[in-house]
Amino acid sequence: MTFSSSYLLSITTFIYLGAAALYLIHWVFRVEKVGLLATFVTLAGLICQTAGIGMRWVESYQLGYGHAPLSNLYESLVFFAWVTVLVYLIIEYKTKKRVIGAFATPFATLAMAYASFSPDVQDTIQPLIPALQSNWLIAHVITCFLGYASFAVACGMGIMYLVRGSGEGKGLLSSLPSHKVLDELMHQTIIFGFLWLSVGIITGAVWANQAWGTYWSWDPKETWSLITWFVYATALHARFVRGWQGKRIALLSIIGFISVIFTYFGVNFLLSGLHSYGSS
Amino acid sequence: MKNTKNSSGSNPVWQFFTSVRLAIFLLIILAITSIIGTIIPQGESMQFYLDKYGPDMFKVIKALKLDDTYHSWWYLTLLGLFSVNLIVCTLNRLPFTIKLFKRDYINVTADYLRRVTFRREWRISGDRPELKEKILEIFEKVAGSYRHKKLENGDDVFMVESGKWSYWGLYGLHISILIIFAGAVFGSVTGFKGRLMLLEGETSDHAVASSDPSKKIPLGFSIRCDRFFVDFYDTGAPKEFRSDLTVIDNGKEVMKKSILVNDPLTYKGVTFYQSSYQSIPEVSVQVSDTSGASRTLVIPAFQRVSWPEAGITMGLMKFLPNVHGVPAVSLWIGDSTGRADSIWLFKGGPKEISAGGKTYKLNMIDASERYMTGLQVKKDPGVWIVWLGCTALILGFAIVFWVGHRRTWLYLGQDGKDMVVLLGGQTNKNRLKFEQDFEAVAQAIDEVTGEGR
Ligand code: HEM
Repeated sequence: MTFSSSYLLSITTFIYLGAAALYLIHWVFRVEKVGLLATFVTLAGLICQTAGIGMRWVESYQLGYGHAPLSNLYESLVFFAWVTVLVYLIIEYKTKKRVIGAFATPFATLAMAYASFSPDVQDTIQPLIPALQSNWLIAHVITCFLGYASFAVACGMGIMYLVRGSGEGKGLLSSLPSHKVLDELMHQTIIFGFLWLSVGIITGAVWANQAWGTYWSWDPKETWSLITWFVYATALHARFVRGWQGKRIALLSIIGFISVIFTYFGVNFLLSGLHSYGSS
Repeated sequence: MKNTKNSSGSNPVWQFFTSVRLAIFLLIILAITSIIGTIIPQGESMQFYLDKYGPDMFKVIKALKLDDTYHSWWYLTLLGLFSVNLIVCTLNRLPFTIKLFKRDYINVTADYLRRVTFRREWRISGDRPELKEKILEIFEKVAGSYRHKKLENGDDVFMVESGKWSYWGLYGLHISILIIFAGAVFGSVTGFKGRLMLLEGETSDHAVASSDPSKKIPLGFSIRCDRFFVDFYDTGAPKEFRSDLTVIDNGKEVMKKSILVNDPLTYKGVTFYQSSYQSIPEVSVQVSDTSGASRTLVIPAFQRVSWPEAGITMGLMKFLPNVHGVPAVSLWIGDSTGRADSIWLFKGGPKEISAGGKTYKLNMIDASERYMTGLQVKKDPGVWIVWLGCTALILGFAIVFWVGHRRTWLYLGQDGKDMVVLLGGQTNKNRLKFEQDFEAVAQAIDEVTGEGR
């Protein structure tokens, strides 16, 4: 393949892989400079990926289809990775806690690797079928994936919470942020994700209402997004109930992300419905 | 709400519904039970479930209405409990929130400020009004504009406060969910969902209920499909479906619109959506009898067309658009005595047939396909309530997420010979960010008091 968007996006996969490795080294060996390098590599990956997505957009116009690169499984995976990295970098910028990178960038790497190398995922640019020709679709996809990406990062934090004991010792795990900090960050990230998931569900409903005349038809994908929404609503309220704080919220954050993954892939591959990303 | 008690506090049913623990329980149960309807196909015939799941599971499915999980009595009961939980929780919390909202947070004591979440204290010997002035100046510069209160003992409290109204954001958020439910219920009670198939040129004044195809829903006006178009990409994937519709009300054409998949037509609260199409063949046949009389009959699929004077009726049974380059049809022929026969007719190949003792000559003039557009027809007066609720949900969320009630106090007082400077901070949201801002104020005061680190 010549120089094309797919080429840039494949390169991005390796850059993110490198970044994830650097964050891991930074965490394990506690070298500040490696952490800084990891941030720069991640940023470079983000720029490369942004260029790739932009090129893909242009290519779709050259093919005469002319649509935003958000319309099939491949494009949505790439966008997921892009937002995950973006959300992570914002959190890193705000909190200056680079260890989180070791738990967040792998999600982006995995998504990109799956998009680029799995035989299930076609990276050709396809035209839009009539139901997908809507600006609400773009709003729907962007907001849903902002939610999904935040949940990926929150899941990373949940894992950090669980693997880190509450001890203050000198081990590898105790160099992770304290439970108190993780709990607060996780809560903030989940609320942020929950906000976008809610907007995503709503824009999806507006779109469905315009295309099919019903804003809610209980199709499996819709229902799974609602299940995901219930799980995170539980996580948000758990902190107000004695016996539910801390560990259980971390668990809910992980369960919630599993539900996201199921909403995203499981429904396409295992169940049937209106949303045809997987099968097309 | 944890520490609130009000007049209804003694009622155990009320108490039960105030609990967030119940909300957690219901959310988890809803999450788990919602999975069922994504695994078992919904809305199929009873026979389907019997064949697929066997007699035992079938009994369970029937009893629990798992063929329509989300409208089953038990699922609706869960949603009902959830709504009651939400209403009671909201009402229960109201007096407490009003109290929080009305309270004037400038009424603090030095002791109180020594116990708030974020706090710093400086002791400087002597009474130094010029330093006080400087501290206040830097406080205003870093923290923002303040309110002032002089205490009875002569000490001063200054407070910077923001986002007090944000307590109501959570109400907006929780109530919005009830508004959405209300809109959905209202819409399903007062509206309808139907379907309509219209041949090009055909007019209808009713739709057919989606839930029960034998039920007609009068529209109160008529709708006509003038044309239908379908367009494909080179790949064969569909690119566009379009129906040109005309609304006829009281005998007058009142509205014309071409609808696309994401662009419906709405008239008098009834919306027509492009949802599917079919192509219907139609054939024109010239029929001549022995007397020399001749007539052209246009026969669409599924219909019978007669020439009564000549005693012949024809129907279109099969249509092949291309048989060795010409269209071919299979025709059903009935005579006046009711006997029937069928023949194949090719374009450009006239045929003679005999029916009811007479001989006719048939000649296919044209064979074409006409489109029939498939429309979804919906009336949902509750949809606006739902959108209102959704807007409130997003706004409420934005407030819950971004706006917190932040208070920063500066206490300037005298304790014997020492001057006491207390800095206190409290927030109910985003503590990390608040801590940074608080530290900035503390550091600025550090510098003024000469304790710069
Ligand atoms: C699925 C529907 C619900 C959603 C989306 C929702 C959303 C939220 C959110 C986002 C918060 C703020 C969390 C925070 O600031 O940390 C919250 C808090 C709260 N919710 Fe809900 N909630 C729902 C249902 C309920 C129900 C049924 C109850 C009834 C018990 C309830 C009671 C509360 C209470 C008491 C708080 C705590 C407020 C506080 O003390 O700051 N919520 N809810």
